[in-house]
Amino acid sequence: MVRFLIFLLFSAWAIISAIGVVTFTNPIYVILWLLSSLIAVAGIFFVAGAELVGALQLLIYAVAIAVFYVFVLTAVPWEKAVKKESHYRTEGVISLPLILLLYLEMAVVFLLGVVASPEGKFREAIARIGNAEVVGSVLFTKYFFAFEVVSLVLLIGMIGAVLIGRKESQTYEDDTG
Amino acid sequence: MEGLFVILIPLVVFAVVGLLGRRIGDLGSGILTTLGGFLSFLFSIPTTIRAIEEPFQIKLYEFITVGDYTLKVGLYFDELSSITASVVTLVASLIFLYSIGYMEHYFGRWAYKFYAYLNLFLFSMLLIVLSDNLLGIFFGWEGVGLASYLLIGYYHEQKKATDSALEAFVMNRVGDWFFLFGIISVFLIFGTLDIVEIFGKVGEVESHLIGLSTLLLFGGAVGKSGQVPLHTWLPNAMAGPTPVSALLHAATMVAAGVYMVARLYPVFEAAPETLKVVALVGGITALFAALAATSHTDIKKIIAFSTMSQLGYMYLGLGLGDREGAMFHLTTHAFFKALLFLSAGSVIVAFHHKVYDIYRFGGLKGYMPVSHASFVVGALALAGIFPFSGFWSKDRLIGSYFEVSFVWGVIGVLVGFITAYYIFREGFVVFWGKERWRGVAGEEPREVGGVMSVPMVVLGVMSVLVGFLEGWYMGVMGVRKELHIEVAVISVLAGLMGIGVAYLVYVRGVVDVGKAYESLRGLHTTFREQFFTEKLYHKVLAWGYLRSSRFAYNLGDRTVIDGTINLTYRSLLKVFKLVWKAFDIKSIDILIHTLAIGMFRGGRVLRNLQTGLLNNYVMFLLMGVVLILGIMLYALDRVKG
Amino acid sequence: MKTIPVEAYFAVSMILFGLGILGLIARRNLITVLMSLELALNAVNVAFVGADAHMGLVEGQIFALFIIALAAVEAAVGLGIIIAIFRYRYVESTDEITDMRG
Repeated sequence: MVRFLIFLLFSAWAIISAIGVVTFTNPIYVILWLLSSLIAVAGIFFVAGAELVGALQLLIYAVAIAVFYVFVLTAVPWEKAVKKESHYRTEGVISLPLILLLYLEMAVVFLLGVVASPEGKFREAIARIGNAEVVGSVLFTKYFFAFEVVSLVLLIGMIGAVLIGRKESQTYEDDTG
Repeated sequence: MEGLFVILIPLVVFAVVGLLGRRIGDLGSGILTTLGGFLSFLFSIPTTIRAIEEPFQIKLYEFITVGDYTLKVGLYFDELSSITASVVTLVASLIFLYSIGYMEHYFGRWAYKFYAYLNLFLFSMLLIVLSDNLLGIFFGWEGVGLASYLLIGYYHEQKKATDSALEAFVMNRVGDWFFLFGIISVFLIFGTLDIVEIFGKVGEVESHLIGLSTLLLFGGAVGKSGQVPLHTWLPNAMAGPTPVSALLHAATMVAAGVYMVARLYPVFEAAPETLKVVALVGGITALFAALAATSHTDIKKIIAFSTMSQLGYMYLGLGLGDREGAMFHLTTHAFFKALLFLSAGSVIVAFHHKVYDIYRFGGLKGYMPVSHASFVVGALALAGIFPFSGFWSKDRLIGSYFEVSFVWGVIGVLVGFITAYYIFREGFVVFWGKERWRGVAGEEPREVGGVMSVPMVVLGVMSVLVGFLEGWYMGVMGVRKELHIEVAVISVLAGLMGIGVAYLVYVRGVVDVGKAYESLRGLHTTFREQFFTEKLYHKVLAWGYLRSSRFAYNLGDRTVIDGTINLTYRSLLKVFKLVWKAFDIKSIDILIHTLAIGMFRGGRVLRNLQTGLLNNYVMFLLMGVVLILGIMLYALDRVKG
Repeated sequence: MKTIPVEAYFAVSMILFGLGILGLIARRNLITVLMSLELALNAVNVAFVGADAHMGLVEGQIFALFIIALAAVEAAVGLGIIIAIFRYRYVESTDEITDMRG
């Protein structure tokens, strides 16, 4: 019961933050709202018993990625660009019914899935050892290959990001570096 | 055996000259032909002797069996056929010899063809004479018709000659049509074509059937001999070379009709109505031709009409029952008519084939004595003056006429008078009198060479002597020779009167020819135009036929057939155009057109979807996802339910 | 203690995801577009973890980890691209980079 309430609290927090992300015009505000929603989602994770994922969510998302966004927003001289409206009204309105339709379909899918899903086998293990160990043991044995591949992807992404974002010599009149 | 050689030699020479003539050369062909003719005559003599004693048959070849009858070819030698064969070969050989000189102007221009045709003719003529069944006679009949066509049209560069050849052939054809039906009817009646067999069966068959078939057979003879009404070709046939006129259209071919009737005489005797027709035709022709001969001026045409008239005499004789008389007249006529033609031919040669009108000659007797003598001998024989051969044969015939009917006898005497008149008219105008050719022709006419003179002399001698063979001839033929003194006197008198009139008018000038001509103009023209039969045939029959066939052509071919085809073509074209328009242009083209345009427009419209805006693309993604998810769920639901 | 029904997790996930997509479609500034995308990814993570909690498995969490890692990479690369675009064109909104139009 308590868990459920906490869950509701976190989920409300997340939804409100999400609405904030979508609606606000100033990008800095949007970043802050995103940060807020990320923390709320991390809370949801904790409530669900996925402590490792929740911790990593906080670390990676809420810290690294959010900071990264803030950095880009402030370091780049956005004032040189032409200011435009922040939203597309037309497309937003058109896509609302589509999204509702999507909700409908997703609901159907989920409900079907719920009915057909098998009973899990790790509950006792999680109860005994703790979530992180269990996840770690499964990750580094059964899904080791995927783990390595993801690290490779990270490497490539890093190289790519560096390459793409590299400064050309005559791009800035006033460079900060 | 000799009998076979008689008929085979001309055939062999025909093949040799026809195929190798170019190598042998024209003179060589002529010599070969003449030799062949003489050889044939020589072989015919022992055959004749043998045949007179005992007629015999040579079976040659059986070729088709139809039902239970076999068509065959064979030869039959009896007194009639073998004597006629000898006469034919003798006259032919003499004329062949003559022609070597006559055709000299044509040597070097493939004159060997001429000799090939002559041999073909001789072979066919002998086939008619010697054949033992009607089929062989028919082969020969057609063969002489073909040879006649080829030879009349020998000067093929002249339109007149080719027209005459065609006219001769067509008229002959009409006669041959009758002849063929006659043969068919004979076969139907008697069941056989063999002559000897037919003779045997004459008594068994009904007479009116025989009458019909003999009438048809006689129709063929009318065409072949140029009797009225199939007569207009004979004067025009003079367009051929003179040897041809002498051989074919005087001595032999035209006599084939007479021979045929004589040959089948037992059959004709069984049909007295036909004989009446024969007599009538012959009599009319004799008179008609004689009248025509008095008004013509072509040197050969007069003689041609004379031939027509004499043939009429022969048919009259046959019709009135005197077969032997007609055949004997045929024999003597062969000699003196050939003689007349040959002498006319030598005059033509002397003037280099340029002059043909008798009034353009004149006074030639001093320059061409042999020709003149030959002509006079022939003319006397024709006029029937004692002791020439013509006297004997004519006397017998006119005697036969008087025996049957007084009218025919008178007509016979009358024709004799006219005959003597016209032939001496020609003789006097050509050989006597003023030399009208002076200053017009180039040089003086000279007598012809020996090659041409010798035959003339021989024929002249024959024309005199053959008459005395009448007794022997009649004996051989199995009848008595009769000499009717009163008839002889009358006919000789008539002949002398004719000569006298001609002499008075044309030599002495008693009657002015010009004035006489003016006053008798109408009569003259009528005779000249052969009582307008020629004009009638040409204008009415030929022209009418041409017009109707042209009309039929226009109607049938042009209007109906061509019209139908054009109509079909045009309507098909229209249909195809329509279909083309409807299908191709309207439907297919339009279809493709609209398709293409639709593609273009659709493309242009769809382009607008590619906004280039990221957000739009995401929206489309969303749409896609919704759609696919919907379909998947629907499928799932269907599967489940 | 009553366990959280799995439908609740899914409901939350759905709402967050829908909002993220809506932001993706409706926002003009490039960076805000990317941020909405992060939101959507997070929603997916919620769904995974929720299903995991219900079923007693850990595969969902593992996959959520992967998603987080990849989201980080993608954010890095995406921002690099945005900066590169800015350098050449001095634009910050999507409607000025419609070179792929037509």
